[in-house]
Amino acid sequence: MLRYIIKRILMLIPVLIGVSIIVFLIMRVFSPDPAPIVLGQHATQASVDAWRQANGLNDPIYLQYFNFITGAITGDLGTSYYTKAPVLKEIFSRFPATIELALLAILLASVFGILIGVISAVKKNSIFDNAGMFLALIGVSMPIFWLGILLIIFFSGTLHWLPSSGRIDPLLQPASVTGFYLIDSLISGDMYAFRDAFEHLILPASALAMYSMAIIARMTRSSMLETLQQDYIRTARAKGISEGRVIGKHALRNGLIPIVTVIGLQLGSLLGGAVLTETVFSWPGIGAYTVACILKSDFPVVQGVVLLIATVFVLVNLMVDVIYAFLDPRIKYSKKEV
Amino acid sequence: MRKMKRIVALVLAVALVGISLTGCGSKTSSDAAPKANDTLIYAQGAEPRGLDPALVDDGESAKVMINIYEGLLKYAKDSTKVEPSLAKSWDVSPDGLTYTFHLQEGVKFHDGTDFDAEAVKFNIDRQIPPQVTEDMAYGSFVYGSVKSVEVVDKATVKINLTAPSTPFLNNLAMVMSAPMVSPKALKENNNNVNQAPVGTGPYKFVKWAKDENIVLVANDEYWGTKALTKNVIFKFIKDNSARVVALNNGEADMIDGIDATVVKQITDAGNKIFQAPGMNINYMAYNTSRAPFNDAKLRAAISKSINVPEMVESLYQGYSEPATSILPTFMEGYDKSISQIAYDSEASAKAIKEAGLTSVKIMTYTNPRPYNSATGQALAEAIQGYLSKVGVTATIDSYDWTTYKEKLKAGDYDICFYGWIGDNGDPDNFMYLLAHEDPTMNVALYKNEAFNKLIAKGIETPAGADRSAIYTELEKIAAADAAWLPISHAETLCAYRPNIKDFYFHMTGVTPFAGVSKQ
Repeated sequence: MLRYIIKRILMLIPVLIGVSIIVFLIMRVFSPDPAPIVLGQHATQASVDAWRQANGLNDPIYLQYFNFITGAITGDLGTSYYTKAPVLKEIFSRFPATIELALLAILLASVFGILIGVISAVKKNSIFDNAGMFLALIGVSMPIFWLGILLIIFFSGTLHWLPSSGRIDPLLQPASVTGFYLIDSLISGDMYAFRDAFEHLILPASALAMYSMAIIARMTRSSMLETLQQDYIRTARAKGISEGRVIGKHALRNGLIPIVTVIGLQLGSLLGGAVLTETVFSWPGIGAYTVACILKSDFPVVQGVVLLIATVFVLVNLMVDVIYAFLDPRIKYSKKEV
Repeated sequence: MRKMKRIVALVLAVALVGISLTGCGSKTSSDAAPKANDTLIYAQGAEPRGLDPALVDDGESAKVMINIYEGLLKYAKDSTKVEPSLAKSWDVSPDGLTYTFHLQEGVKFHDGTDFDAEAVKFNIDRQIPPQVTEDMAYGSFVYGSVKSVEVVDKATVKINLTAPSTPFLNNLAMVMSAPMVSPKALKENNNNVNQAPVGTGPYKFVKWAKDENIVLVANDEYWGTKALTKNVIFKFIKDNSARVVALNNGEADMIDGIDATVVKQITDAGNKIFQAPGMNINYMAYNTSRAPFNDAKLRAAISKSINVPEMVESLYQGYSEPATSILPTFMEGYDKSISQIAYDSEASAKAIKEAGLTSVKIMTYTNPRPYNSATGQALAEAIQGYLSKVGVTATIDSYDWTTYKEKLKAGDYDICFYGWIGDNGDPDNFMYLLAHEDPTMNVALYKNEAFNKLIAKGIETPAGADRSAIYTELEKIAAADAAWLPISHAETLCAYRPNIKDFYFHMTGVTPFAGVSKQ
């Protein structure tokens, strides 16, 4: 198992090299010249040339890539063209917000998705099934930014129950230890802040969870329907095991593998930042920030973020593979059996 | 399996707690948080680029910086006339080449160091050759005419120019480049205080949570009239409707970047609108460098076919002022007597028919711009409509803003759209566009020696009636030559809660909060 994990982590290296080359080329080929954007309304050809020279953009592209990758290996991703702040600092001041939102969203999505999926499968073709799948259909079809605006207008604008945007009331902001406000507020023992941070999370997490929940519910339903047909389920029932145990212990556990895969993929993409949700709720995460940087041709930031997201995605998938082994002891990652 | 059950139970429990917390909805977040009258919350649509006046060029940064920093001079509250600030007074040598500033004494930067002539020299030297770096967006604009800076004594500084430049005084009141930054802070931060600003202004920087907010606190040691409200928080709320909800909900006291469509929603909730004049111009330009529009008469004929006030009203719903001049009306040199070619569809059709013009090529941009909230596309389509009435078929090529600026360089258009956001409140800043060498500035590719000579004279002439007359004259030449059709001056719409007193948005795009209070 350990060997397998180490091997998978080592495989990150070619993945990251590949990803870095692709993003490097895409930014340089398809993005507009950053110089006029950085220099603004008064840019002249001379100042544009000088700026490009100073930032190495006049070098041959392979040399630019070499400089970038050697920097990246030593942990220096450069400085943002636009804000002149170190890229690592820019990214890590926003990444905790993305993680916090993604984790809560995936938690909501998994709990409700699996619940709806199981009920729909067990009560196939019943009103519960139809209602559950209708909800799932809405979940995959509804544009998330629209859902977000509806939630804001209803829960914040009309009912005044929840705050409309941001992560926390600025005056309650806890001292930054981990960057996760829920944890930081607990560390500082400020329950007001904890509650406020939690309230700020509810609407964006719900909006973000909707799509993943729908996907998970559908996957759970079809996976459960398949396992419920299996002989061992009939055997279990024949043995007189209670229906709850049959579904929970025999069917759900065996049906979990594809569900975990889907949850892993969803989590991976949520950690890459949820652009629309972040924009609608002014959530200070990595997604909306990256889009803004793409539009400004801020190459160093975009390259840094993409490397980070690729790493996270690979690691989440690795986690999923490890979880398989726990779910189904027949899956082993020892060398002989692979 | 039991373990599994426990996990599921735990997950459900957490979810339940979450839901029940949501359920106690009657207690709103706003009464849970201790929001006192000593905090002003301003919500803007984007995050500032940074807070080092030498390194940024965006309006979002300006709104924060105006509260932290001061320059030698400042603008009057309701115009772009300059007033003393860190400089008590100043003398200009008769040849217009030497400016001597007498500085306020006893002023300290927020880090406790003294503001004096050395600090002025340090700040200017940093932005002129040889120290200036290529990414100082406004350095060459503000200090381009500076030859050297001399410290006469602690409270007197002399600035020598390479050529007389009357706009120089206006430059010194700008919030870009001109504000004084603590030399100590600059040395400690590697010549970049984007994240750690230290000025002399009425508010001090406290913290910046990226993409969330910037917090400022009143400067108790401030040399002038101290700020009325203790804390100012700038929140960044990107979505326009969310920003309106935040205001109506009390999560923000003041917001900007709104448009005409939400005004009713805001006023219905009991909030107030602030409509500030804008230092900008939204215009249509003819390509004067090639046929057919190298002919001023034909340009005038086309301009005659367009009903500007009607178009402005329909596109901007009363929140842009139809332009009768290139200069905004509050600026030196603006004169009521200036008028553009009047709408006369019939005369236009006749002249166009005589000239045999049947088709034109329009190039435009697809994005909204600060001076044109309706997008260049909407503007081009409106013009296309007017042209079709006089028998001219217009084809429209539209591009996103960045690509558009590239395309302009090639000069392949008969008509294009553009705009300008004023920098320093000096008329030269607007009128010079028609004399500019750079094709991306002077998109009409207009060349007129008499005009250029007058521009050069305007730069040298000391401020006063004579100088204003020069700009009025320039306006008249531009109107008669019809290289541009000035369309509108966009106004800035802000909204604030009724308990906010004395809020204003200056025409240069900044929001000084020292005099604003919450009842």
